[in-house]
Amino acid sequence: MTGKERILKALQVQEPDLIPMMELMIDKKVKDAILPNSTYEEFMDYLDMDAAVVVDRTVEKFEALDEAKGIVRDQWGTIRQFGKEATSHPIQSAIQSEKDLDSYNPPDPDLEFRYGVLKSFVKRFKGHRAVVASVTDVFTICQAIRGTEQYFIDYIENPSLVDRLNEIVLKYNLKYIRNCLEIGADVIVISGDYAANEEPMMSPRHFKRYIFPPLKAMVSEVKNRGSYCIKHTDGNIWKLFDMIVESGIDGIHPLEPVAGMDIGEVKKKYGDRLCLMGNIDCGYTLSWGTLEEVRKEVKECIQRAAPGGGHIVASSNSIHSSVNPQNFLEMIKATREYGKYPLSV
Amino acid sequence: MMFDLKEISKRLLELNVSKVEQLTKEAINFGIPAQKILKEGLIPGMEQVGVLFKDGEIYIPEVLVAAKAMKSAMSLLQPLFNKESMKYLGKVAIVTVEGDLHDIGKNLVILMMQGIGFEVIDLGIDQPSEKIVEFVKQTDIQILGLSALLTTTMPKLRETIDALITAGVRERVKIMVGGAPVTQKYATEIGADAYAPNAGAAAEKAKTLIGYA
Repeated sequence: MTGKERILKALQVQEPDLIPMMELMIDKKVKDAILPNSTYEEFMDYLDMDAAVVVDRTVEKFEALDEAKGIVRDQWGTIRQFGKEATSHPIQSAIQSEKDLDSYNPPDPDLEFRYGVLKSFVKRFKGHRAVVASVTDVFTICQAIRGTEQYFIDYIENPSLVDRLNEIVLKYNLKYIRNCLEIGADVIVISGDYAANEEPMMSPRHFKRYIFPPLKAMVSEVKNRGSYCIKHTDGNIWKLFDMIVESGIDGIHPLEPVAGMDIGEVKKKYGDRLCLMGNIDCGYTLSWGTLEEVRKEVKECIQRAAPGGGHIVASSNSIHSSVNPQNFLEMIKATREYGKYPLSV
Repeated sequence: MMFDLKEISKRLLELNVSKVEQLTKEAINFGIPAQKILKEGLIPGMEQVGVLFKDGEIYIPEVLVAAKAMKSAMSLLQPLFNKESMKYLGKVAIVTVEGDLHDIGKNLVILMMQGIGFEVIDLGIDQPSEKIVEFVKQTDIQILGLSALLTTTMPKLRETIDALITAGVRERVKIMVGGAPVTQKYATEIGADAYAPNAGAAAEKAKTLIGYA
C-alpha cells in the first residue's frame, strides 16, 4: 500500500497493511540533525512518512513593522512579535470595537502565495504520500483578531460581535479549504486548541453556541467534496468530545496524555467511528526518555488504539525543538515493527 | 438600614458588572470603609470564582467577566485607599521564564491572585534568571510565580531556582511554578515550593504558602 492508501484506510477506520504515521510539525533542528541541509520534502521521502503536511499559510505573509524587535502585522491585521521560538505572539488586536468590523477587510483566500507549497507537495507526492493541508479553526483566528481575553468576554457581553466575526472568518476558511482540495490535498486538518490541561477553555454551552457551528460548516465542506478531515486540539476535551465528533470529523489529534486524554479510553468510546492520531508523549518520552521507553510507549499505544484500524501513530503534539532526534527515529522504527496488520502485539 | 456587602459578591458571581459597580458606589456612599468593601464585598466573590473555576464549573469567559467587575469596583475604591490603609494579603511577582505563545493562563493567575487580595507585580515574559535574581534581591515579595509554556523552556525554571540558590536569596521567597508542560513531579524535582495546575488553584495555594488557611 502507498502511504496515502494507509492514511485514508485509517481515516475510514479500517485496517491497512501497516499503521501509518504523520506529524503536523517537525522542527528544523530535528530534521537537520537527522538529514542535514535537507528540504522538508526530501526529509519526508527519507523517513518514508505516510503523509506530508502543509501548514496554514494564511498568516505567513507578514508586513514588517519593526524588524529589529521582530514586530509584524499579519494577514488578519493583528500585530505580532516574534521571540526565539518559531512562532509569534499577538501584541495588538485587529478589532478593538464592534465598529471596526464595519470597515474590516479580511484577507483574500485566493491569493496565489498561499498555495505554492501545497502545489509543489501535490506535484511531488500525489498518489504516493497523503498530501495534508492544515487550516486554522475559526475560533483561533477570531481570538487573534479580537484579542484572546476580549474575545472570551465577548462570548458573554457581545454575542453579535462574535457572530459577525465568526461569519467573516468562516467565509475565508471555506474558500481556503475549497482551494486546497481543488489543488489536490487529500486530507484537511483543522488546527486550533479548545482546551487546557484540565478543562476546555469555554463551557460546553459556549462551545455549542459559538464554536460548533463554524466547525461543522468547515467539516461539511470537506466531507461534501469527498475528502477527509482531522481535528487537532490540545488539552482535555472530554466535555466537548461528543460535539466535536458530531461535527462529522474522520480523525482527532493528538489526544495529549498529560491532559487526561487516554487513547485506550477514547478508543472504547469513539473508536468505531473515529480515527485516533497520536499519542506518543513529546513532553517527556520523545524529548528526555530512553530508546527503551520510546519503544514501550509505541507498543502500548498501538495495543490500545490500533485494533480494527483507525489509528495513525503521531507524537502528542509535534516533533518540537527539544525532541531527541534518535528518539524520533526509534518511534518510527518501533511503529513499523509493531504496526503490521494483522496485529501481533 | 444595614448595607449587605454580601450582595456585591452575589452580583459578582452573577457576572453583573454594572450592578457590582452600582452597589460599590452605594456602599461607598453609605460610608463603609474601602478596605471593608473589598474584604467583605468583593474578595469573597472572587474566591468563589476561583473555586468554581478550579472545579470546572465555570470557564475562562466567566472568570474574565468576573475579573472585569472586580477591576471596575477597584477603580472606584482606589482613590479611597492610601498606601497605609490598603492591606494586601501579600506580595507576589509573576514571570514567564522564556518565550511566550500566549499569556492567557498567566494573566488568569494574576487576575485571580489580585481578586483574592494579593498585590501582584507582572514581570512580563522572556526574563533571564539574572534579572529575576536581581529583582528578588531588591524587593520584598513573598511569592515568586514562574511559568514555562513549552517543554523547551521548562529547564529555565530549574535554572532560575538554582540561580536564586547560588545568589543566596532562595530562602527569601516561596516559589510557585506552572504552565502547560509543568507537573507536580517536575516542580518537586527542581525544588519549587508549590505547583498549581490552574489559576483558581494557584490563588488558593498562594494563600496557604504565606500562612492563611
